[in-house]
Amino acid sequence: MKIVHYIEFLRSNIKTLRNTLIAYLVVLVLYDILLHLVEHGHYFIDNIPAFWTIFGIVGCFLLIKVAKGIAHIFLSKDVDYYG
Amino acid sequence: MDRWVHPAIFYFIGALLLPFFKGKAKKGFILLIPLLSIIDVALMHEGIFGTYEFLNVSVTFGRVDKLSLVFAWVFTIMAFLGALYALHVKEDGHHIAGFFYVGSSLGALFSGDYLSLFIFWEIMAFSSVFLVWYRKKKRSIDAGFRYLLMHIFGGLCFLAGMMFYYYKTGGLAFERILPEGAGLAEYLILAGFSLNAAVLPLHAWLPDAYPEATVEGAVFMCAFTTKTAVYVLARGFPGFEILAILGTAMTVYGVFYAVIENDMRRVLAYHIISQVGYMVAGVGIGTEMAVNGACAHAFAHILYKALLFMGAGAVLYMTGTAKLSKLGGLYKYMPLTMICYVVGAVSISGFPLFSGFVSKSMVVASAHESGRIGLLLFMNLAGIGTFLSVGLKVTYFAFFSKEPAIEVKEPPKNMLWSMGLTSALCFIIGIYPQSLYALLPYPVHYHPYTLSHLAETLQILSFTGLVFFLLVGKLAPEDKINLDVDYFYRKGTWLFMKFDEKVISVVDAIWGELYRTLGLSFLFKNAEISNTIDRKVIDGIVDGSATTVRGIGSIVKRLQTGRIQAYIGFSLFIFFIILWIFLGRT
Repeated sequence: MKIVHYIEFLRSNIKTLRNTLIAYLVVLVLYDILLHLVEHGHYFIDNIPAFWTIFGIVGCFLLIKVAKGIAHIFLSKDVDYYG
Repeated sequence: MDRWVHPAIFYFIGALLLPFFKGKAKKGFILLIPLLSIIDVALMHEGIFGTYEFLNVSVTFGRVDKLSLVFAWVFTIMAFLGALYALHVKEDGHHIAGFFYVGSSLGALFSGDYLSLFIFWEIMAFSSVFLVWYRKKKRSIDAGFRYLLMHIFGGLCFLAGMMFYYYKTGGLAFERILPEGAGLAEYLILAGFSLNAAVLPLHAWLPDAYPEATVEGAVFMCAFTTKTAVYVLARGFPGFEILAILGTAMTVYGVFYAVIENDMRRVLAYHIISQVGYMVAGVGIGTEMAVNGACAHAFAHILYKALLFMGAGAVLYMTGTAKLSKLGGLYKYMPLTMICYVVGAVSISGFPLFSGFVSKSMVVASAHESGRIGLLLFMNLAGIGTFLSVGLKVTYFAFFSKEPAIEVKEPPKNMLWSMGLTSALCFIIGIYPQSLYALLPYPVHYHPYTLSHLAETLQILSFTGLVFFLLVGKLAPEDKINLDVDYFYRKGTWLFMKFDEKVISVVDAIWGELYRTLGLSFLFKNAEISNTIDRKVIDGIVDGSATTVRGIGSIVKRLQTGRIQAYIGFSLFIFFIILWIFLGRT
């Protein structure tokens, strides 16, 4: 299968892949900041540059921490909990 | 075409004829039925068809308008894809249950009154439960019974609401209900509908039953029950504020559980709650754009969610497990399955070029347009969780992460074809959204591919990806289950049985002992006295009435069949007669 080869090629060049993705993230944020110079919205969330970048990072971090935290405190049970 | 043919008829007749076909003819027949229904929907015109008078109520089987048609399109297409995916299944009963399930959902779509809707509603529950039971494991049988009991509860809410509604309005026409005029009747109906839409806190049946269903059955189930419910909510209850809030809560609740779940199909089941949340919220916001968004999202969701269940089902079918903690490295052996799954995953996450991007954003944009910024933020938070759990977590831990433990092959051809076709549809809707927008109930003035929308979506998704790879160790799946509100009825039953065993039976034993020692001697004494009175006084009076009593006794004896379902059925019957008499007087 060709696809398997492509995936293995990417896996063996993981550093280049990582650097490319980081460059992409930087371009994305710059693009949003530029966009805010020309477009203005109605609500406060529309007028903060890179708002959704911050939202993405904070939201994802909180979601993982809170969900895993609550699961460990009382939601998680053994598989045969209900018998 | 002036004549209207109900598409459900193909499925009901098909289900009855299916056992007479053998071999290849049977496979052809299984695919032919959904194809016929697709053609039937394509030829349909708007209008009211099939109206009958029944018990002084007007019953309408065919209300065809844009709202019912958009759902009919996706239901029939999905029925074809589902049938193709399930083509290798040997048991006739499985296909028959599937046909009855699809047919009754189509019946519910076109119902113009509560009575026929209720009948199809119940057939849906009773046929779909077989798709769980056909897994034939104890867990599935138990989960099936819980599923059925919850749906019977929802059905009874609906039935009670329907009766109150009849006494309030004198009719059973199923029309739009305005939030201002809604009372007990309307809210009972709303509760019945909400249970099927898995609205909090009536949702636990869904992640309980769907992951226990058969591989093929789950593909059907994820499409029809909740989306029929979204349709009836969109028809009857647009603009109900409670739906906007509960729907948004559902979006976050679903992804919260999906982040911690281990079973692949349970992750997806929680995502049904989350995605249906967007639709319910859209209905609750109630503007034309929001209801359009709810319908568009239902359409797109049925396809990509079925695709995800097909992918997860294929993994379960080939490896024997859907637990992420036991999977890994499957990209080597199942690359086609992985690609199809990833197409489903990027569609549900709302990546540009795929279906979720053009449908989910309609609901989110309608929240934005009506100034509901709080709802918007929570919906986007749920969007993060969607990509995090379905897109990244499941893909990573099932298809990558560690080296493969088991050597497996790709699933059967019919499964691959079905996944391939569904993937193509997700992609076509993504690049050509007008094809979907043309089917929506209201005119569409929305354009998903704008610079700011692209910037918003790409930032949310890309930075979710970044955080995932920083915290991937924290997300390692654990072989555990997570409590949900089904805890209350599952542990509740267990507690009741314990109470029965430890308390009631002990009290019963003591009481029995007490009766034997004290009661009997008292009775003997008492009997002696009564005997004297009896012989002297009463004999004469009673003799006459004895014959009557004996007559009644034999009737009662016949009623006491000792079958619990007969008692419950009879009690319900009596309950509704009393309700009927009581309401008739006031």
